Amino acid sequence: MKSYNRLSLSLLLATTLVSCLQENLRDQLYEEDIYNNATDIYVNAVAVLYNYIGGATDSEGLQGTCRGIYDYNTLTTDEAMIPIRGGDWYDGGLWDNMYQHKWSEDDLPLYDTWKYLYKVVVLANKSLHVIDTHRDLLTEEQAASYTAEVRAIRALFYYYIMDMYGRVPLVVAHDTPQKDVVQSERSEVLRFIVDELQDVLPMLADEPSNRKGNYYGRVTAPVAHFLLAKVMLNAEVYADDDWTDGIRPDGKDILFTVDGKELNAWEACIAYCDKLAEAGYALAPDYLSNFAVHNENSIENIFTIPLDKNLYAAQFWYLFRSRHYNHGGAVGGASENGTCATISTVMANGYGTDEEDTRFALNFYADTVRVDGKIVMQDNGKPLVYMPLELKRNLTGSPYLYTAGARMAKYEVDRTAHSDGRQPDNDIVLFRYADVLLMKAEAKVRNGEDGSAELNAVRDRVSMPHREATLDNILEERLLELVWEGHRRQDLIRYDRYHKAYDLRTPLPEEGNRYTTVFPIPHKSIDLNPNLKQHKGYADKEL
Amino acid sequence: MMRLTLKTFVLLLCCSHLQLAAQVQYTKEVADSMSTNGLAEHIRHEEIRKGLVNNALEALSGQTAGVNVTTNGTDRMAMLNSVRVRGTTSITGGNDPLVIIDGVTSDVATLSTIYPSDIASFTILKNASETARYGSRGASGVIEVKTKRGTGGGFQISYNGNYGVEPMYKYLPMLSAAQYRATAEAWGLDYNDGGFDTDFHKVITRTGSVQQHHLAFSGGTETQNYRASFGLMDHNTIVRVNDYRNMVAKIDVTQKAFGGRLTGDFGVFGSSAMTHDIFDTQMLFNSAATQNPTYPAGQDANGNWVKNSTAAWINHPGILLDEKNDSKDATLNTHLRLTYDIDSHLHLSLFGAYSYYSTSRAQFCPTWVWAQGNVYRGEFNGEDYLANAALNYGNAWGKHKLDASVSGEYHQQLRTGFWVQAKGITTNDFSYHNIGATSSRPFGGTGSSYEDPSLASLMGSVAYHFDNRYSLSATLRTDGSSMVGKDNTWGVFPSVSGTWNIHREAFMKDVSRVTLLRLRAGHGSSGNLGGITSYTTLNTVKENGIVSINGVPTVTMGTMKNTNPNLKWETRTTSNVGIDFGAWDNRLMLTAEYYYSLTTDMLYSYDVPVPAFAYDKLMANIGSMSNQGVELGVSMMPIQQKETELNINLNVAYQRNRLLSLSGEYNGMQMTAAEVTPIGSLYGAGQHGGDNNVVYQIVGQPLGVFYLPHCKGLVKNEQGNYRYDIADLDGDGEVNLGDGGDRYVAGQATPKVTLGSNISFRYKDWDIAVQVNGAFGHKIFNGTGLAYTNMSSFPTYNVLQGAPEKNIVDQNVSDYWLEDGDYVNIEYITVGYNIPIKSKAIRSLRLTANVNNVATLTAYSGLTPMINSYVVNGTLGIDDKRAYPLYRTFSMGVSVQF
Repeated sequence: MKSYNRLSLSLLLATTLVSCLQENLRDQLYEEDIYNNATDIYVNAVAVLYNYIGGATDSEGLQGTCRGIYDYNTLTTDEAMIPIRGGDWYDGGLWDNMYQHKWSEDDLPLYDTWKYLYKVVVLANKSLHVIDTHRDLLTEEQAASYTAEVRAIRALFYYYIMDMYGRVPLVVAHDTPQKDVVQSERSEVLRFIVDELQDVLPMLADEPSNRKGNYYGRVTAPVAHFLLAKVMLNAEVYADDDWTDGIRPDGKDILFTVDGKELNAWEACIAYCDKLAEAGYALAPDYLSNFAVHNENSIENIFTIPLDKNLYAAQFWYLFRSRHYNHGGAVGGASENGTCATISTVMANGYGTDEEDTRFALNFYADTVRVDGKIVMQDNGKPLVYMPLELKRNLTGSPYLYTAGARMAKYEVDRTAHSDGRQPDNDIVLFRYADVLLMKAEAKVRNGEDGSAELNAVRDRVSMPHREATLDNILEERLLELVWEGHRRQDLIRYDRYHKAYDLRTPLPEEGNRYTTVFPIPHKSIDLNPNLKQHKGYADKEL
Repeated sequence: MMRLTLKTFVLLLCCSHLQLAAQVQYTKEVADSMSTNGLAEHIRHEEIRKGLVNNALEALSGQTAGVNVTTNGTDRMAMLNSVRVRGTTSITGGNDPLVIIDGVTSDVATLSTIYPSDIASFTILKNASETARYGSRGASGVIEVKTKRGTGGGFQISYNGNYGVEPMYKYLPMLSAAQYRATAEAWGLDYNDGGFDTDFHKVITRTGSVQQHHLAFSGGTETQNYRASFGLMDHNTIVRVNDYRNMVAKIDVTQKAFGGRLTGDFGVFGSSAMTHDIFDTQMLFNSAATQNPTYPAGQDANGNWVKNSTAAWINHPGILLDEKNDSKDATLNTHLRLTYDIDSHLHLSLFGAYSYYSTSRAQFCPTWVWAQGNVYRGEFNGEDYLANAALNYGNAWGKHKLDASVSGEYHQQLRTGFWVQAKGITTNDFSYHNIGATSSRPFGGTGSSYEDPSLASLMGSVAYHFDNRYSLSATLRTDGSSMVGKDNTWGVFPSVSGTWNIHREAFMKDVSRVTLLRLRAGHGSSGNLGGITSYTTLNTVKENGIVSINGVPTVTMGTMKNTNPNLKWETRTTSNVGIDFGAWDNRLMLTAEYYYSLTTDMLYSYDVPVPAFAYDKLMANIGSMSNQGVELGVSMMPIQQKETELNINLNVAYQRNRLLSLSGEYNGMQMTAAEVTPIGSLYGAGQHGGDNNVVYQIVGQPLGVFYLPHCKGLVKNEQGNYRYDIADLDGDGEVNLGDGGDRYVAGQATPKVTLGSNISFRYKDWDIAVQVNGAFGHKIFNGTGLAYTNMSSFPTYNVLQGAPEKNIVDQNVSDYWLEDGDYVNIEYITVGYNIPIKSKAIRSLRLTANVNNVATLTAYSGLTPMINSYVVNGTLGIDDKRAYPLYRTFSMGVSVQF
């Protein structure tokens, strides 16, 4: 009798309680509830991806933050380095190892960078699926243009993935099962990027992306044109499926179809450069205006990361990371006294000679530091004097412990920047027209033509005398013009110099086979997906 | 356990009817709980530490085996979320024990606000069969707190008060200004001479003070009584900006009706706690230690701070004192319990409780610490509704006795929050009081939140007793939560236990000295969801950024995690067996218990591959972990005479934790967590994210082991300085300091053995009590020593005295700085005097004198071995520049009853 009562009581309680065990979402939504109309779908499936162009944490963002794409493309080259300064900037040897190419597949920043890039790819795949399954809410034109924009963004990220990691998995569907995530040859990824961009180009808006307005920060047709030109210029590298065998395909033999015409890589690069000229991009008369606090009106910038300290979370660390502490203090922020131009970069600029490049003073802080005309003082009462030629890999014990090395200038200092100078209003320049001219000059020379008109257009703008358009001169011009902009590793690899000795660096013993021209697939990625195979050079080292 | 029969303990304190009555009542409860549930640890008010106690958590420390309260961590005050019952059983969370205050579900934070004088007893439930009553919420142990109530013994007033001072007695000996100059010159290093001689530890500290006042009224009759109390605690710590103030008010009323068949208990408890915290403890103490000692203590003549700008990881300690990190916590708890005797066998109990919590947080960083400044305000509110209905049946026939009960419970929580962060301040004068006077409130800094998780339980239990000799009980409960996956809402958790009172057997009759001999055993399981929160299993989206769309900044929404809709209960299964022995009227008591607990379906954020996943972590129920240990208790009363009495209590716990597995299958995919995962690392100049990991989680090892490169000794480099000579452990010809490199397991961070001991002695009206705690078998990584000995950071950062002579220019992490953490600490010595007053007005008057933090015996070379050695987080086992200078508390107290 008792047990019967108990049972009925339990049942009664159970039915009452079950209905009470529900979560009531108030500060979040179910994912299916954010794609209710065309605007929703654009905002939450397309525009949402632009949050990931810039970044606010380490290894996230195409530029602006630390220990990510920018550092691995800059601090691993003859352009810049972060020296060890006593107890500071040792960090387990991270920065010195970058400079020496002694990274390993266990390096956390390499894994974090991989995760960041593929996160955006996977989210883009999902966005395509969302657009696909909500076609009834979209006009045909909307569906086509949304799809095109997402595919272009995805191609942009695959470009960085391929450039850094070589043979990588091409994941293009939202529901790719884990077992199908296998690597494609680098040349396949190259073809995928080109095909995708060419395919979606007609649906992309033919509008500048760097200017405030409807297309601000978006991947528009000019951005895709720039990207295609870049890919073509580096096609020899990207089409090379075994970069350790010393044999590289010839750009003249790598063929692409551009507007119905079959062109070799160099011709294709030139064709896309020309499209940007046709679109009205030109060199800004004032070099520095491209990097001003308010650089949104530049006629030269093509693709930027929009920054606005009051709106966006994205950050720009590089000035903050480079300046001496007292220098940062003098402009109303703080600093980390880190990144320096290498001695070879400073020398290439003719520092201290009569032929000093006019851009040296624009791109670097060297010698006595003045802010608002006043000399910045160190704590010991002595003037702050940067010593560009005193740079060493390890400055511990040096009298120039804190002052060795020329520092990064280039961007106008936003005195009202937030986060100690890491959140200024200057948009970060990813692609600009001076690069287009230099790409065209190089493609012409490599194709057996004369590229001096383009090279010297860039030199004219900064009142530098003309030079002959040799490949060497073009590479040096790229350093002078594009320094601090994150292109150097790619340039050195294209010129087959990345693995050689330069500046204060001696090559690693096994580096002669160029295995360091791609970064290793992160160890953890292989652990989690045994389908992935490590690249030559790194794989051998494991044994 | 052994304490329960030490009735004479009561005499140590002011003998009052109140306490004696409480004692009687309490003994009955324990007898009940023993018969059904083995033997819970019970600590009465009289046994709660008698030194100066700042809050109820400190009162628990060292009182019972297997319960660890981290009273240090930073400031030697009991840390919230630091109470561990039998260690850590889950990786992701839910390791805090459940706190039940007069039947109301609560938490460690609320317990810490209760005034120790209001607490009648703590009961610690550790075994599954004991915690079954609380289901999943009690998976990590239960601390039941009973507060004092009126006794119907007529009107009484009592006052307790004390006042103490806290002088600093030890801090890190850094180079003085003269030594600093001499060293820099001897080493030929360029340094900044500010022309002063400043001891920056003195700049940030003062002599602390603490005072407490507590007033209680009680009264009533047999059928109705009440107790009301008010307490105030004010603590100004030795760090100038670090203060606490806590006010508590409490009322309890009991009313009987219908000829005593209905009993109603009503209680209200409210507290308001104010905290002025240190904004960044590590930054403050690191700055005080390593700031250039030739710099001035304060501002210069123009009101400017003289900064040591090249020392980028620190700041002028004086500036840091201007940062604010304040909070205010207000709590209101009410409860009502109605117990109705339907007949002599059947009782119905209805219980309802409502709690309201509010936390206001306010932070301010002036522009001279952060360019543009930073202001933060946040308001967080919580409401808890708890309803419980139980039907209890009890009957006895001859030697047979049966108890049975069935109950249902529903627990609903509601949590909301609102916060604003602003930058761009134009004046530092507003502090955080005028957030409108800021130019910018960037995306991500402002927000609000809502969640309302709920929990329901049904429980049935039966206990059978035969002849007071044998008891057997079984409990079956099912817990349902809104937070787990839809198909896994309910978890079923059974438990059984039995006891055998051997001393009641006929064959023991002749052994008259043995007054207690009991064997007990239990086995059971409970569920834990501490690792997840609301919405974890739902595929939800929220704002994830702001982008320009058609020229308009627009908020976008998207997912922020991989979602696992199939999450279920993490289960912990515990078996325990114990024996209790008492002799000579229990003047000698010994207890021993062995337990083994196994956590399965362990909730953990596993690494998953990107791609195909968008994010690199997925919460799943896969791994397992075990905990086992032995707990021993001894209590002796070697002297028990009218005028003289000596009590000795000792508890020792041995514990061994092992992470068994973190691999398994999820949706057909093999999931394997990394074998070696860093959980704690060093922080500071030159230690940013490069081979600076120290404490790891490794499968097959206890949670929190030191996994370090091995230092063979010191070797001279080309410059004539020493560096650590790191061994090439894997013999590959290269020394690799990375996580997967030349490292080995060098010890564990959590103590293997803990000790608590209390000795008290009374002679006539005088008494003295000493509490001694200890921990053994663990290591501490002396990161402070590593950093402050490294001459490569000198003269930018000051170093320890003796560092120039050691001449080490190296900051690599290795076992060179791993030291034994064993210690014995004399927590307090209290001397009391009960003034023999023969007055009608004053029933008793007692004076006490206390010294807290008396002394520590240890071989550890750092400031103190009492760092965080229990809570698995980034600070576990690592002494890294954040230890508070050491201080003692000298206090006087008075307690009077009218």
